[in-house]
Amino acid sequence: MRIELDQPRCEGHGLCEEVAPDLVHLDDEGELVIDIAEVEAGSNEEHHAQEAVRICPVTALSLK
Amino acid sequence: MDRNYDNIVIVGYGIAGMTAADTLRSHGYQGRLTIVGGEPHEPYSRPALSKAMLADVSTVEPQYLPASDHGAKVLLGSRAVALDLKRNTITLDNGEYIDFDGLVIASGSTAKRFTDHPREFAVRSLDDALRLRTRLHDQPNVVILGGGPLGMEIASGARNIGCAVTLVHRGLPMASHLGPYLGGWCTEAARARGVELIDGRVAEVYAPDSADGPITVCLESGQEVGGDVIVSTIGDAPEGDWLADSGLLTDGRLKVDTRGRVNEHIVAAGDIAWLPTADGHERQPLWTAAIEQAKTASHALLVGDEAPPLNFQSYFWTEQFGLTIRVSGDFPIHGEPEVVARGQKANPDALLLRWNGDAQSAAAVGYRIAIPKLRKVATGDFLPS
Ligand SMILES: Cc1cc2nc3c(=O)[nH]c(=O)nc-3n(C[C@H](O)[C@H](O)[C@H](O)COP(=O)(O)OP(=O)(O)OC[C@H]3O[C@@H](n4cnc5c(N)ncnc54)[C@H](O)[C@@H]3O)c2cc1C
Ligand code: SF4
Repeated sequence: MRIELDQPRCEGHGLCEEVAPDLVHLDDEGELVIDIAEVEAGSNEEHHAQEAVRICPVTALSLK
Repeated sequence: MDRNYDNIVIVGYGIAGMTAADTLRSHGYQGRLTIVGGEPHEPYSRPALSKAMLADVSTVEPQYLPASDHGAKVLLGSRAVALDLKRNTITLDNGEYIDFDGLVIASGSTAKRFTDHPREFAVRSLDDALRLRTRLHDQPNVVILGGGPLGMEIASGARNIGCAVTLVHRGLPMASHLGPYLGGWCTEAARARGVELIDGRVAEVYAPDSADGPITVCLESGQEVGGDVIVSTIGDAPEGDWLADSGLLTDGRLKVDTRGRVNEHIVAAGDIAWLPTADGHERQPLWTAAIEQAKTASHALLVGDEAPPLNFQSYFWTEQFGLTIRVSGDFPIHGEPEVVARGQKANPDALLLRWNGDAQSAAAVGYRIAIPKLRKVATGDFLPS
């Protein structure tokens, strides 16, 4: 499964970083960087990715 | 799992209900799951209703939450009207009953309003927001009652669309949420964008008998304010009517413990829940709070005391009049902050602020910083280089 970011929508809240610091981070300019995009179904990473997708208040992240 | 549930029902399909469903599954619950969702829509981002939904004039695109694989039976557009704890049943608005062995109460809250007149708007649901948006496009004169985040965000959106906007609020707008310093900024920004601010308290709203007569706001000072439409942003009330005869409410409040439990087999999360705090039971009507509470409560439903209690760190943001303010720590806060960093090339006006003293509070004004770092700025554990 792949984490995808709708870049224009992202407002840099970084709430996703709080629940999935292993997968995403905001860089010094405040742009969200996806460090690990591919996550294995059923893995810990996938669980974190789901949480990141859920917490984003502007629905900028998706997992496909 | 301690308890053997096989028939859990969630009432309310907002962010708390959705998170509860996901959490139950991720903790291994495989039994029947039914969600009673009062709105005809799939869950969506509620904070976006007063921000992106009003800001962007070109599209009306509700921000639906990404779909989930919880596999629950979802009853959209169906409302719970009563809860019977002797039979463990919920009565639905179509007269049907559903039974449960475990229950998650996540019915949120509704917007308070003065009248039921169609010219008075209040924004809680997607349908409310769509209705207001459609009306604002005719550029009516808008009177907004309330200067909290919702009132100020809607004022900002209405100005963008080109409406004349008057906002009535007692004291400095936003100050009761953020304190006088940031409240002052918001107020200045609102004035600069042409919002007429009236410092006063509403005594009464006169609504005409007909749908198209003028609607008038009467202030305690005796001043009358009229407009084509009024938007009331005077707070929300928990959606507890359907629990009125259940015996679960104390003084009308649904109180939970530190794990979101109402009793052994009922938990609650989100805007409906009153949580124990040092100052008595309080609600925490915030997006991230609803998510954290739903995770804790649904875990506790399954495993009881083994679930860690709620450990919520508040996070709040608002977008209005060109300002994006995000705060972490104790708010509202008094006094002047220290500027700990300024924006880089792209947005030189951005500021990162910290209040020193007993309180641990930080604010990012247009400044992009991840929440975990903003929290550390608030506690004094991190300063950007
Ligand atoms: C316009 C607006 C802007 C906001 N902006 C922000 C913000 O910027 N930041 C922030 O942190 N928070 C914000 N909030 C608050 C935040 O959206 C809420 O705290 C959060 O949505 C609460 O989630 P919930 O699931 O508890 O309730 P809700 O999202 O209200 O979901 C409850 C659901 O239950 C349904 N329901 C109610 N009664 C019944 C019943 N009897 N039977 C079946 N279903 C029922 C409701 O229709 C609703 O769909 C905002 C709220 C609004 C209205
Ligand atoms: S939570 Fe959403 S808006 Fe915030 S940084 Fe992550 S993707 Fe962007």
